[in-house]
Amino acid sequence: MSTLLRQHAEAQFAQELEELGKQDHEKRPENWKLSPQSVVTYLMGGKLKNGFEISPKYIGNRRLMEIAVATLTTDRALLLYGLPGTAKSWVSEHLAAGICGDSRLIVQGTAGTGEDAIRYGWNYARLLAEGPSEKALVETPLMRAMKTGSIARIEELTRIGADVQDSLITILSEKTLPVPELNTEIQSVKGFNVIATANNRDKGVNELSSALKRRFNTVILPVPDSMDEEIDIVKRRVESFEKVMALPAEAPALEEIRRIVTIFRELRSGVSLDGKTKIKQPSGTLSTAEAISVMNNGLSMAAYFGDGRLTASDLAAGITGAIVKDPVQDKLVWQEYLETVVKPRDNWKDIYRACRELL
Amino acid sequence: MAIHILGIRHHGPGSARNVKTFLESVKPDIVLVEGPPEADGILQWAAHEEMRPPVAILCYQPDNPRQSSFYPFAEFSPEWQAILYAKRQNIHIRFMDLPVAHQYALENEAQAAISSQPENAGQETAPSPPQDENTTTVPGQPAIENEVLHEIPVRYDVASLAHAAGYDDGEKWWEHMFEHRADNQDIFTAVMEGMGSLREIYDGKDNKLELLREAHMRKVIRQAEREMFQNIAVICGAWHAPALHNMPPQKGDNELLKGLSKVKTECTWVPWTNSRLSLYSGYGAGINSPGWYEHIWHHQEDDGTKWLVKVAKLFREKQMDTSVAHVIEASRLANALAALRNLPKAGLEELNEATLSVLCGGEPVLLSLVQAELIVNNRIGEVPVDIPKPPLQQDIEKIQKRLRLPAAADWKDYLLDLRKENDLERSVFLHRLQILELKWGHRSDVTGKGTFKEQWRLQWDPGFSVDIIEKGVWGNTVEEAATGYLVHLAKEAADLPAVGKLLEAAIPAELPLAVDALIQRINNLAAASSDVVQLMEVLPGLVEVSRYGNVRKTDAALVMGIVESMTVRICINLPPACQAIDEDAAAHLQALFPKLNDAINLLQHGELTGQWEQTLKVISQNQGTAPVLAGYATRLLADRKLLTGDELVKAFYYAMSSASGPGIAAAWLEGFLTGSGAILLLDNDLWGVVSSWVEQLEEDMFIEVLPLLRRTFSNFSRPERKKLGEMVKRGGRAAVPVTEKSFDGQRAEQGIPVVMALLGLQH
Repeated sequence: MSTLLRQHAEAQFAQELEELGKQDHEKRPENWKLSPQSVVTYLMGGKLKNGFEISPKYIGNRRLMEIAVATLTTDRALLLYGLPGTAKSWVSEHLAAGICGDSRLIVQGTAGTGEDAIRYGWNYARLLAEGPSEKALVETPLMRAMKTGSIARIEELTRIGADVQDSLITILSEKTLPVPELNTEIQSVKGFNVIATANNRDKGVNELSSALKRRFNTVILPVPDSMDEEIDIVKRRVESFEKVMALPAEAPALEEIRRIVTIFRELRSGVSLDGKTKIKQPSGTLSTAEAISVMNNGLSMAAYFGDGRLTASDLAAGITGAIVKDPVQDKLVWQEYLETVVKPRDNWKDIYRACRELL
Repeated sequence: MAIHILGIRHHGPGSARNVKTFLESVKPDIVLVEGPPEADGILQWAAHEEMRPPVAILCYQPDNPRQSSFYPFAEFSPEWQAILYAKRQNIHIRFMDLPVAHQYALENEAQAAISSQPENAGQETAPSPPQDENTTTVPGQPAIENEVLHEIPVRYDVASLAHAAGYDDGEKWWEHMFEHRADNQDIFTAVMEGMGSLREIYDGKDNKLELLREAHMRKVIRQAEREMFQNIAVICGAWHAPALHNMPPQKGDNELLKGLSKVKTECTWVPWTNSRLSLYSGYGAGINSPGWYEHIWHHQEDDGTKWLVKVAKLFREKQMDTSVAHVIEASRLANALAALRNLPKAGLEELNEATLSVLCGGEPVLLSLVQAELIVNNRIGEVPVDIPKPPLQQDIEKIQKRLRLPAAADWKDYLLDLRKENDLERSVFLHRLQILELKWGHRSDVTGKGTFKEQWRLQWDPGFSVDIIEKGVWGNTVEEAATGYLVHLAKEAADLPAVGKLLEAAIPAELPLAVDALIQRINNLAAASSDVVQLMEVLPGLVEVSRYGNVRKTDAALVMGIVESMTVRICINLPPACQAIDEDAAAHLQALFPKLNDAINLLQHGELTGQWEQTLKVISQNQGTAPVLAGYATRLLADRKLLTGDELVKAFYYAMSSASGPGIAAAWLEGFLTGSGAILLLDNDLWGVVSSWVEQLEEDMFIEVLPLLRRTFSNFSRPERKKLGEMVKRGGRAAVPVTEKSFDGQRAEQGIPVVMALLGLQH
């Protein structure tokens, strides 16, 4: 077993990718490791002809994944858009792993991301010693992707300043990266494309200019449709976490997951599951990803500080932390929810008491 | 001799194309189509040059027009193409379904069976299930819950074939298999075999209506054979194809069809709309995307580019920037998606997804625009003017043409200025249709002042054809029918308010005969009515009507007569009616007071006003009057300046004296101050009365009445209460004291020349 904390998708699912490659007889676009159909299978899961089981990576609408993959076969870039925690980066990582077997060509967008993180930078020692030369150029992940014909990923595109964003336009429309200092350019090899992610919840983001927007096909990733779908997602991710962390705690009962998902869904939608009670909404997004981390957190607590069995009190701290983002407003919302919705429910007494203690 | 059975899907453009090519290649000498045989006689109109689909054949039972059904045809309906082919080639064409005469008779029997079983009564209100994929029953008709007429789950059957082919949706499978394919050899054989295998599982033997229908279809085919036709083409729903192919012995069919009862029916062509073809209007029978089907019918070869250009054009019309590059990218994505899904061609789903992702930036809101404007593409068909139609329908169409009010599938707003001759006629026409309960127009309130304007929103619904036939019994023209119907309603109406409403409707519809009858009726009812409340409810409406007379050129004098006699009756009966009633009744009565008061003010009739004021006095002074009404009457008198100064103070103190008991005093005060938060602020006299009364109260007394006051004041709005409080603080002075002294005339005069110069009025 690897000692790494977290493996890249292509390493973690190396066997699946290999089997898919063997069974894949469809036409592959140039420089793609798999055919588009197989990439969709890799993401959505399924059984291969030889009986090999591919685990689902994205649980949700297959059509969205089809649009995403189809986009990458055309020369348009893909923009995954959605609330925080709707598996945008997760999908982007697996798309890159499935298509070119390499999900590491990544640019993390921040307010401080400059042009040299997107186009190229200079090794100043070399630059001063030798003057402008190919050797003094520092490649960015994007530039490397262009040269090798692979998928580059840009995380949180809308956090990057508008002027820096626009440096992507030439790369996306003409597929070249001019280096005027050397009077040369880098031309993309077939297979190059860009997957960007952006979230539409944060304030103070930089809207894409319409010129740049036109270079992207947008796929909005929604929050899970149904309760069962969400429970399934949480369960799978928590199980994989257990494998990685080698936790001694007992497998989480489906019941616990169901409760967490219920709480999160109710607070997110502002109405109780039976549709009868209106509930105030907290300021956080309460995504599925957060439900997963609450479960993981609870498992760790149970393993290291408890008796190894997951109980409500192990989860309480995580839940409270996920929901109460604003210490004044959210606390009231959470308190009200506990008193009006959680307290009257049968068999929820333990979670009610555990959460009450923390408030 | 050859019989070709062509199994199709109703409204399938691919099926339509296949039928057309097939007919052109085999050249039959007779075409038999699934449809009502009663309509054979009106088939000649199909090829008429003024006929524009979507249209429908309407069959109905003349003595019970609610019993009716529509057989809709779009341009891309296979049946329609078959009919057109037959008409062009001048060969025989016949409908072969079970005659609707029998179907209605069966339904009537079934219904009679239900109503004779009271325990089943609850089911009658359930929505009616569609009788067949292609027949649409009229909404609101009682459901036929009977084992004889049970619907077979056709859609589910196709779904099981689709599952076998690896599709999750039957519709989609059929679409890709049969409607969108380019290579169509042997397609009808394939359809027949597929359906044949399904029928082995779902034999439908327990569905009597289906058995009867198929038996009749076979009967028509045999008939055609006997008439020595050599080359017979049969167009029917895919489901029926195997049943018509494997002919069972004639004897069984004849026995099945023997002795069926029948009713008298009639048929005609009516315009239909695309939205009615679509599933969304609540009909089980139909298709999702008439606009899209129309597109692929006209542009079979389109790979999606033409469609996306249409979408882009629509977006541009709606002020959304859409470049050619967008269209190129969307078309590429659609084709990539089709390839990914192993489809030969991008379908509507792929195109929609590409539109969403490329043109809309992922926002599904914009896609709903495409849905409404292009995918459904709501529009109304046309039928030739000289088709024999019910006389009332003809009259309506004639007037629509003359007044330029076309029947359209999409709504349109009209603002009518009743001072103009044409607009007045339009308004009269629309009001008459309202009386006939044709919900073509919806009136909305006009902004701005004046009673000479009317705002209408018009949207035609093909279902009106049935309503028109139903109302046809009342007369052959709109005027006759509206008059007849109103008179009928007036006779039925049992109480005054109902007749009052009818009168209000009749006046703007300019139906003098009906108005006469209604006024007679009101007069009779009013004389017999001992219920003053009813009189009070009707009177304001009547007064409104008499005022309308000026614009409408109606004879208001007629109405005035009634108004006078009714006012007198009210004045006599009201004071006793205000006595000895409970709180709820008093509240109800009080709500009628202001309207009546306004109406009498509006009349400006000296004598009546005097009587009314006298009545108010009696009410305010009577001992037994409900306190809230006494208080309100006192207020109205004060408003009319009939009770001022000391008189008013006296009345107020008297009512509020501690002997009356807190509950009564509170009610009186409530009546006195009803809705007058603002008036208290503005009317210094009233303020003075209330204020000085509060000030003179002893402390104990004040504490006692405080809850009563609070109850009254809590009805005022927040800002009103706040202002009242401020006024009390200032010791009763108005909020903005405007005094003469603050204005210095001399100084102001000095500025005038400068202002004049600035305005260029003086040099």
